[in-house]
Amino acid sequence: MGLLSILRKLKSTPDQEVRILLLGLDNAGKTTLLKQLASEDISHITPTQGFNIKSVQSQGFKLNVWDIGGQRKIRPYWRNYFENTDILIYVIDSADRKRFEETGQELAELLDEEKLSGVPVLIFANKQDLLTAAPASEIAEGLNLHTIRDRVWQIQSCSALSGEGVQDGMNWVCKNVNAKKK
Amino acid sequence: MGCFFSKRRKAAQGGQQQQQQQQQAAGADGEPAAGEEKAPQYSWEQRAKIDPKDYTFSGLKDETVGRLPGKVAGQQFIIQDCENCSIYIFDHSATITVDDCVNCQIFLGPIKGSVFFRDCKDCKCIVACQQFRTRDCRKLEVFLCCATQPIIESSTGMKFGCFQYYYPELALQFKDAGLSIFNNTWSNIHDFTPVSGENNWGLLPENAVVQDYVPLPSSEELKAVRISTDAMRSIIPITRGRRQKSSEESCLAVFFAGDYTTANARKLIDEMTGKGFQLVQTKEVPMKAEDAQRVFRQCASEFIPLLEKGPVVALEFNGDGAVEACQSTVNDVFNGTKVFVSESKASASQDVDNFYNFAEMQMGM
Repeated sequence: MGLLSILRKLKSTPDQEVRILLLGLDNAGKTTLLKQLASEDISHITPTQGFNIKSVQSQGFKLNVWDIGGQRKIRPYWRNYFENTDILIYVIDSADRKRFEETGQELAELLDEEKLSGVPVLIFANKQDLLTAAPASEIAEGLNLHTIRDRVWQIQSCSALSGEGVQDGMNWVCKNVNAKKK
Repeated sequence: MGCFFSKRRKAAQGGQQQQQQQQQAAGADGEPAAGEEKAPQYSWEQRAKIDPKDYTFSGLKDETVGRLPGKVAGQQFIIQDCENCSIYIFDHSATITVDDCVNCQIFLGPIKGSVFFRDCKDCKCIVACQQFRTRDCRKLEVFLCCATQPIIESSTGMKFGCFQYYYPELALQFKDAGLSIFNNTWSNIHDFTPVSGENNWGLLPENAVVQDYVPLPSSEELKAVRISTDAMRSIIPITRGRRQKSSEESCLAVFFAGDYTTANARKLIDEMTGKGFQLVQTKEVPMKAEDAQRVFRQCASEFIPLLEKGPVVALEFNGDGAVEACQSTVNDVFNGTKVFVSESKASASQDVDNFYNFAEMQMGM
């Protein structure tokens, strides 16, 4: 699903600019996801040193997707991007079981952030194409997603590499872009 | 109340798919979105079960272990908690993580995605990958082929050299992993945690002998792989990268897509290095007409029709007299083929700059 078609689906929003923030640990697959959404080549992607942004515009409406580097050292900078976020997409490497606790921790801290209060969150259980990938159900349980009460949320299994599952996740995004709780 | 993917439903036998009860109206009632799975709809729900243990080396000590060509076949591989081991993955894989390994010698065949070393110490490695990442590592020495800029974080004592290895199946494994033998940025590392006044990483000595770092495997099973660590036979052309250049004279040569492009490029590399010139860098990258104008300038029109056949292969040589030597070699050896070669010493440095500027933008994100 291209960014432009996402934008067209969002046209019923009251605001004219929709801001999506893409976060997750380093190596989760955020940039691959972004490139996939933009229908670009995904065979040659560099570890993100700062951030990547994709912007599309159509008939007065604008969609911005921000992909921020996830190394431990630069996670303190994530807060610089929180303001005016309409949707948070959190990407998890489902096959990196060693870091499930770490990614759960980071997600929990994000959901505690004042500036992200009430923002709908889509969790992509990415890398389902890999052998040791945990299913979304297991990840949801491990992350205690069912205890999230203060916002709408969704978990979606996907492979950013092949694109499978990505559209399903973005369909949820389009439906919930106005679901920010005050 | 939102309950979520907590139980998998058994697959509906033929008949109707269940309606996915996903999102309620956006934010109306404050309920988290509930979801129930349909019958299996994704490829990962339907594939044959493979045992992860066959793709894991865990908790080994003082052992020599490996996988022969064909035995990983593009799957994910996991290496963890190994000590004093020699580990050889003689196949292509999807991605590899190496955790908590100490004093190991490790060969990793072409990795389609990333390799991630975490909490490792005193390891000597030969690795080919699209992305190279480390965190919390100490004293890793790596002969590397990496398609993108390697990164390190909270790591120190890291040393890098150019990947240098051959066995007969390796060339095809690079293809299977989607890696070009001409795209190797092994020598410019990005450090996420630089320390002022110190260097967390450096380059291995030029004359480093690969087998002193990662010996040939000693087990009967793995000896079947016909390995050579000779620089001349390496599947990945040995490049100087950011090593200091011996001369101010460079030369750019560009081959265009065709059946013999790789063989031709390798031939020119052999001829030029045989004559004492150094190969600095190589790149395989698609080029458009506008790029051709900028890089080839007056000669552009001659080469533009060749661009649509596929990516070009560019070689940068260095040494006094490189331009003349390259021109005469190309004339002698590649008489029928269209090849771009720098016109003169003066224009050559501009050629090289123009080419890298365009290539870097192209390969950017």
